[in-house]
Amino acid sequence: MERATGIGLRAPHLAQLERERPAVGFLEIHAENYLAPSTALQAVERLRLDYDFSVHAVGLSLGSVDGVDEGHLERVAGLVKRLEPRWISDHLAWSISGGRYFNELLPLPYTEEALDVVARNVQRVQEALGRPISIENPACYLAFRHSTLSEPAFLGELVRRTGCGLLLDANNVFVSAHNLRLDPQAWRVALPAAAVTQYHLAGHAVNDADGEPILIDDHGSAVREAVWALYADFVRSLGEHPTLIEWDTDIPSLEVLLEQAATADRLTAGARSHACVA
Amino acid sequence: MLALRELQAAFADHLAGRDRVDLLALVSGDSIPAAARIAVHRHHLGQSLSAALAATFPTVRALVGEDFFGRMARDFLAGFLPTQPVLAEYGADLASFIATYGPAAGLPYLADIARLDWALNVAAYAGPVRRLTAADLSAVSSERLPAHHLALPPGTCLIDSPFPLPDIWRASQPDAGEGVVDLAAGRCRLVVLPGSAGAFFVSLSNPEADFVAALAAGSSLEEAAGVAFAADATFDLSKTFARLIRLGTFAALR
Repeated sequence: MERATGIGLRAPHLAQLERERPAVGFLEIHAENYLAPSTALQAVERLRLDYDFSVHAVGLSLGSVDGVDEGHLERVAGLVKRLEPRWISDHLAWSISGGRYFNELLPLPYTEEALDVVARNVQRVQEALGRPISIENPACYLAFRHSTLSEPAFLGELVRRTGCGLLLDANNVFVSAHNLRLDPQAWRVALPAAAVTQYHLAGHAVNDADGEPILIDDHGSAVREAVWALYADFVRSLGEHPTLIEWDTDIPSLEVLLEQAATADRLTAGARSHACVA
Repeated sequence: MLALRELQAAFADHLAGRDRVDLLALVSGDSIPAAARIAVHRHHLGQSLSAALAATFPTVRALVGEDFFGRMARDFLAGFLPTQPVLAEYGADLASFIATYGPAAGLPYLADIARLDWALNVAAYAGPVRRLTAADLSAVSSERLPAHHLALPPGTCLIDSPFPLPDIWRASQPDAGEGVVDLAAGRCRLVVLPGSAGAFFVSLSNPEADFVAALAAGSSLEEAAGVAFAADATFDLSKTFARLIRLGTFAALR
């Protein structure tokens, strides 16, 4: 079977990956972990000869009304130039305000004002990198009362204004839909299929919020059954795209991670034959 | 409704520890109240920055334990949030914070251990730089060598502490056996260096450390040797120099 699904390259697996070079669709790194020179960056430079790379940023703060931090953007652009990754992405969120960096993907109100801000920032990043980036739907724990657009409508308009791609995180859709009492199928129906470039999959935790379950996108366990099912729906209606398994806390053995990737490959193949029959 | 600029400023203030009750009116609540929803973000922020600091200060973390470290990290980040997104570069102020942090007063060496952890972190992310070898030096005539200056590689740091940091550091490693550290063992002088397999530190004698400190401050080889001899007449220049070259202490000869 074709290995199309990628895995996050995490420090505990680095030596084993270098040694064994397993078959996997691609490797993903968080841009912010590789902006300073290190032995890990040297390992990535060796691995990129054998693997496609996805550079996933978490700190461009595309939703910041302050604009993109030019110093940080310059460092990300340097990494992109050095690694020439196949994909570049960040989130529909903000994390910088007044010169303080909050290491958290913070929510935006989905308004025309926010759309102007995000579109301006995405354009600035694409201009600096000289290529389009993909924007990921965040895991939401709250919604602002004054939002006037749904998240998929906001993303669709962002695509129209900037030409960016969409990174559709099936786990984030599942988490947001549960927490905000929305229908997860709404994303599938409303997103512009032609803009989708990648899927993300991860595990989530179920926490207690004043006696009510709230889902937390903690990337700390295997992908849940309901998220696999939603992912298969996405593949059937939005098409096949490179998929990433994210597992960042309580990191399992490399074998477990590769098995999750193989499951995604099998589901994609299944969705493909299903689509042919239909 | 707040304009986006005011909303982000209010949210940021709230995350930094200043309760902003005006945020509650902006957020939809149901069986999960708005306050509990906002609290998810505050909780994640504390957790993730505390974990980032624990990764950068593993020896401090091992000495004080998870609970104490978590509380200290939260107290620290109330005043010292990151100013940029590269977390490996976050924590420069932790050592000086610990030096005046009341709950850590019983561990007087903790601030210096934080300095050592930070120096190892800085050296680990300093990047590869070519080092001078004995062959490089043999290319310079012995009459002219004393007038030369030696540059240390970026990320190198000298630490001078009244506490035996190497003993404390070794006893805090995950594979350390049972043992007692004698704090009365006293002062240490260390050089922390970037290495090809990661950062490391070595202990220097007082004249050796004076010698390296003088070179780092821009003295010529001859002047630096003079400083070391003045501190200790038994200083062995050729032996020290050979050892420092082997360790990769110098990046360039000028």
